Amino acid sequence: MVLDKRLAELRDRIQQLSPAKAHERLVAGAVLIDVRDPGELAQGMPAGAHALSRDELEMRIDQLAPPEAPVMLICASGPRSLLAADTLARLGYEQVAVVTGGMQRWKREGLPCTRPEGIDDDGAERYARQLNLPEIGIEGQAKLADARVLLVGAGGLGSPAALYLAAAGIGTIGLVDDDRVDRSNLHRQVVHRDDRVGTPKTDSARATLEALNPNIDVRTHQVRLNSDNVEEIFSNYRIIVDGSDNFPTRYLVNDACIRLGLPNVYGAVQRFEGRVSVFAAGGRPCYRCLFSEPPDPEFAPSCSEAGVLGVVPGVIGLLQALEVIKLATGVGEPLIGRLLLFDALGTRMRELALGPDPGCRYCADDREFPGYVDYAEFCSGRASQDLETND
Amino acid sequence: MIKIELPDALRSLAGGAREIAVEAGSVSEALDELGRLYPEARLRILTRGGQVRPHVNLFVRERDIRAHDGLNTVLEDGDSLLVVPSVAGG
Ligand SMILES: [Zn+2]
Repeated sequence: MVLDKRLAELRDRIQQLSPAKAHERLVAGAVLIDVRDPGELAQGMPAGAHALSRDELEMRIDQLAPPEAPVMLICASGPRSLLAADTLARLGYEQVAVVTGGMQRWKREGLPCTRPEGIDDDGAERYARQLNLPEIGIEGQAKLADARVLLVGAGGLGSPAALYLAAAGIGTIGLVDDDRVDRSNLHRQVVHRDDRVGTPKTDSARATLEALNPNIDVRTHQVRLNSDNVEEIFSNYRIIVDGSDNFPTRYLVNDACIRLGLPNVYGAVQRFEGRVSVFAAGGRPCYRCLFSEPPDPEFAPSCSEAGVLGVVPGVIGLLQALEVIKLATGVGEPLIGRLLLFDALGTRMRELALGPDPGCRYCADDREFPGYVDYAEFCSGRASQDLETND
Repeated sequence: MIKIELPDALRSLAGGAREIAVEAGSVSEALDELGRLYPEARLRILTRGGQVRPHVNLFVRERDIRAHDGLNTVLEDGDSLLVVPSVAGG
């Protein structure tokens, strides 16, 4: 009611132009400002208009027009442009007009439209609710499209991460996994399906992701990661997501990320607990700063042996996806130098501070890369040695 | 009183308890107390030589004890000692 009254009052004193008239003036050189949100702009805006949301209007209007110049405003259907016109009037702009019927009428009348760079018809619709977030917007969406993210493991962590990263529009998603879909995977590895039991996980995951979002590029690497292939595979990507299920791979991922200067988005789960962190490019801290060496195999049952509630990797894998999106867009505060612990039974999250290990063999200052370790042998050989020397 | 918070993986070695209450003035003393009650649980955290195992981290007041004073980190009444071992599951 208050708003209706206000809008009626504004209509009485602010000049209103038909879209055709506004277009005529625009062509003659007048300034037209579209005050809608980025998600709406992505659906199309008047050709030749400037995009300036109502939040930015006061701060940036003088870059587009001095107070003595005529300024026209357009929104979706009218109200926001009236309120924006009032704002400009208060700033001292004397010749402010709004386009009646807004963008809806502009389009209906067949006047020329354009789309901000970096977004196509499908993207404008698909990502509309994400584009509408000023923190993401068209610029952020373009960064997601440019992102190249490798998921190590298409399992419990990789499944939810892959689904949401594909949905969010990560342009290139790589999947490394040499395993095949087993029925016992399906309670947590939700990117796969019952009718794909027995097929390679990489193929199964790709089929799901392409069905979800045909506009991304999904690349598969159906191999077991090892010291011979890790650099060749990783060098095609900018962000690595560690969703592996064994220590040898986790150390290989860490060491290759340090070597190649890639961020490592780490997640791990067991039974009812999970944890997540981001080890920045160059480490300090890195995974080895936290856990310098793998445990003896007897202390370290893998997920398949230990059991895990399916929801737990779901939660952790999605937190990894969140961190990827933040790294790719530069939005927010990444989980660098922090370890987040998730206790499913208590439904608690706990954040621990992580610092660099000044003696870290891989990421401490001025260290020469010590090379990759053959972990399978390392673990079993080391186990007996450890008992003799340290125990 | 100090609270030792055990991870899921070590609870079976400590009678199923999530938390063990001990009297101790340092991390080292707290782990010795744990060892008196549950020797196997202590052995998963420290080697026989008394070093923290490389795949285990200990946290006091949400910081790694390495950022405090290591095993000599002083514990005050009401502090908790959190044990975080490496897990690989995915
Ligand atoms: Zn390190």
